[in-house]
Amino acid sequence: MALRVRDLSLRFGGVLAVDSMSIDVAPGEIVGLIGPNGAGKTTFINCVSGNYRADAGATEWHGESLFGKRPHEIIRRGVVRTFQNVASLHDLTVLDVVKLGAMMATDVGLGERLSAMLRSEQARNALLTETILRPLRLADVADHPLQSLSYGLRKAVDLARALAAHPRLLLLDEPVAGLTSQEGAVMSQAIRDARDRLGCSVVMVEHKMDVVNATCDRIVVMAAGAKIFEGTAAQVQVDPEVRRVYLGEP
Amino acid sequence: MTRSSLVPIILAILAIAVSLMLGRYGAYLTHVVAIAAIGAMSLNLLNGWCGQINFAQAALLGVGAYTAGNCGNAGWDVFSLLAAGIASALAAVLIGLPALRLRGLYFAIATLAAQFIFEYLFKFAEPITHGVSGLLIQPMKLLGRVIDTDQGYAVLAICLLLLTWLFMTWIRRTDLGRAFLVVRENEVVARGMGINVPQTKMWAFLISGFFAGIAGGLMGFTDRLAHPEAFGMGLSVDYIAMIIVGGLGSLPGSLLGAAFVSLLPEAIQRFGEAFNMADQLSAFREMAFGLLIILFLIFEPRGLSAILGKTNVQRMMARFARRPTNPVRDQAKNQPKWRSVE
Amino acid sequence: MTFYLQLAVAGIAVGSVYALIAIGIVLIYKCSGVVNFAQGAFVMLGAYFTYALTRLGLAPVAAVLGAMLAMALVGMLTERLVLRPMMKAPVVAIMAVTLGILILTRAVCLAIWGPDQIAFPKLFPDGAVNIFDVFITYNYLAAALLSVCLSLAFLAFYQFTAIGLKQRCAADNTRAALAIGIHTGNQNSLAWSMSAALAGLGGTLLATLNGLSLGLSDIGLVAFPVIVLGGLTSLSGAVVAGLLLGVLQAFTDGILTPWFETFLRAYTRIYSAGALQQVVPYMILVFVLLVRPQGIFGRRGTERL
Repeated sequence: MALRVRDLSLRFGGVLAVDSMSIDVAPGEIVGLIGPNGAGKTTFINCVSGNYRADAGATEWHGESLFGKRPHEIIRRGVVRTFQNVASLHDLTVLDVVKLGAMMATDVGLGERLSAMLRSEQARNALLTETILRPLRLADVADHPLQSLSYGLRKAVDLARALAAHPRLLLLDEPVAGLTSQEGAVMSQAIRDARDRLGCSVVMVEHKMDVVNATCDRIVVMAAGAKIFEGTAAQVQVDPEVRRVYLGEP
Repeated sequence: MTRSSLVPIILAILAIAVSLMLGRYGAYLTHVVAIAAIGAMSLNLLNGWCGQINFAQAALLGVGAYTAGNCGNAGWDVFSLLAAGIASALAAVLIGLPALRLRGLYFAIATLAAQFIFEYLFKFAEPITHGVSGLLIQPMKLLGRVIDTDQGYAVLAICLLLLTWLFMTWIRRTDLGRAFLVVRENEVVARGMGINVPQTKMWAFLISGFFAGIAGGLMGFTDRLAHPEAFGMGLSVDYIAMIIVGGLGSLPGSLLGAAFVSLLPEAIQRFGEAFNMADQLSAFREMAFGLLIILFLIFEPRGLSAILGKTNVQRMMARFARRPTNPVRDQAKNQPKWRSVE
Repeated sequence: MTFYLQLAVAGIAVGSVYALIAIGIVLIYKCSGVVNFAQGAFVMLGAYFTYALTRLGLAPVAAVLGAMLAMALVGMLTERLVLRPMMKAPVVAIMAVTLGILILTRAVCLAIWGPDQIAFPKLFPDGAVNIFDVFITYNYLAAALLSVCLSLAFLAFYQFTAIGLKQRCAADNTRAALAIGIHTGNQNSLAWSMSAALAGLGGTLLATLNGLSLGLSDIGLVAFPVIVLGGLTSLSGAVVAGLLLGVLQAFTDGILTPWFETFLRAYTRIYSAGALQQVVPYMILVFVLLVRPQGIFGRRGTERL
């Protein structure tokens, strides 16, 4: 198991946002995390990525505990996340953002870093554009400021940033929310490509079932902070508890 | 990289040539502006690029001046400036430490407190600073020769300004420079992206402090005196005005703002002498200063650099050559004056 | 013992004036999120207005009231003309614009009244009361009583009246207040007017104690450690912190500075401790912020990801 989370809990005042959540993710596996609004999916991701500090539980990444570590320490261990709300960052361009992601990559050796510094800025830009931006259809907007892009493109840039960090675990927070079905398909393909090329694991919080079914190997369902089911797409659709939570069936 | 640094180098050579031809007063104005520009660029890195408010810039300049003065008097020659930079960098880190835990307004007020504490220390630590009477500073020695003319300091200041400019342009393109910008825009996002926010802020303070120290050291050598009143709150406000009037976050803006704020008192002085209004002068100067800050902030918050900016020049040139302009780039630059701060 | 009481009384008197000035800053901050660095200028301007009105022949009470009205107008105009256009500006810019107002106001006072200290008209009779061997001049007594009463009255106004309620709504959440029909722009103007009027009174009282000069605007800056200590958003915190700081300053001046100077002269070549009581508020400020970033009464902010 690459990622093991056991009994993670987080309380906000009187609200138990995450209730003894446990999850296992194998290397190279894409896991979808679904559930109704307010189920605690994003909060759970925030705990794993270090943005929130859980009250209790254990998070193990390749045997090492991530509990209590800060986001920048967790990212340096290959656990990278994307965000639901992509803030506009003044006049930073797409390439600037991707380079910010690239600076978190820890699998780059010293020799490679030195040769990268000696390479000209243009060569570096071209390399990043080809390897990271083109698969996400972002090559044409490489030097555009982030603020001038549509929401869908900005989310793609956020994914590009995460991929540039050579992640071994990708935590995606609603990657296709607000996207057209065409943009969503591009995203979904890019996620699968990343898993195939980099061999990374993916945990993907999402609402759009068609994308989840097309992209994920396994699905975990959360409701009211706790896990209520996990299995394949077919199994999820017929489970009575899931149907009760989602469709209100008795 | 070398191609884009050619322009500043050529401009610096031109500036040196001009200042050597200008005579004493012209050279004096040149080094005043150049030194202020170094200080403004240092504040720009901290405030314009990294978003950290700093009311203690005058204190940092003072630390630089006193350090350079003491080292210079002790015979350290040009290394006094280096020592000044290091001392101010350390002082800046000290001032910046509370930034790690405080947010926005609270931190601004903490830097205000730091400014007053340093002012007190300048008056109080008499063995080092000679208190209220001030520290007399011998002219600087460079490679054995004494620099004691305005022209000499003008050349020195321009050279150091060039080095500062090149360094700042380089930093802007590194990972650290990009990290500054994200920290400025949204610390939460920066943290989420994996940027070590406290470390980034500390680097901003360190580098900003270093250049403030160099500017302060040069101020000490050119004034031949360092005294507490010269490094009070008013000077901090002057530097804040420089980077705002010039345009927050813009390097050429820092230069323009420094020139504007430094030369304004001189211009008003000449104006007043011409019209025989000598006794009203300092009040008039302050009034103009305050009014200009207010008007700039209300009407052209992106400062002089936007007014004289690249897009306007490009548009003018494009119209001249009848070339199509780049609409996407223009659209990005033409954002509404104040975006909502969400 | 009487010595300490004497110091405490002087401290409370000055501290209550600090509180008055600080309430103004907190008021504006709560209402619109702006830190008004120009408050010191309002302090100074209020004193100069009182002086000018007495020179025009008004009785002291009328002069003080007139000055407060004039300051209210100044506050309102500042909000309308300068702050309104900058509503969406980043924090730095707004702070800078209030600094601009500070500079401009100082310059105007300099142009009209000159740089020298001016003898301030006597507003209170000479003499002192003697309570338990402690001498309190009528001046200090009046300053303290006026400030404390006005601060309490203001707190009561803010907490218990309809207009106070509107202010609190606008302060709590501008959008929500707008949604329920409160004209936040007017509330802002009101906050600025009241704040400037309070500052003006504070300045007048300070001028009776220390004389009238441009230096009054610097005293306004002491209000900042006060509000940070009290918590940027707490009015009662501002009052408590103001009193505390006033007392601390008095004790520093009376006890710490002489002790410190003897210490210095004994062990170092430094002869004087300088204006220690002026810098002590700032040192306390830094210390408190390092230990408790939200001040004594402030609330810790939270962030949503």
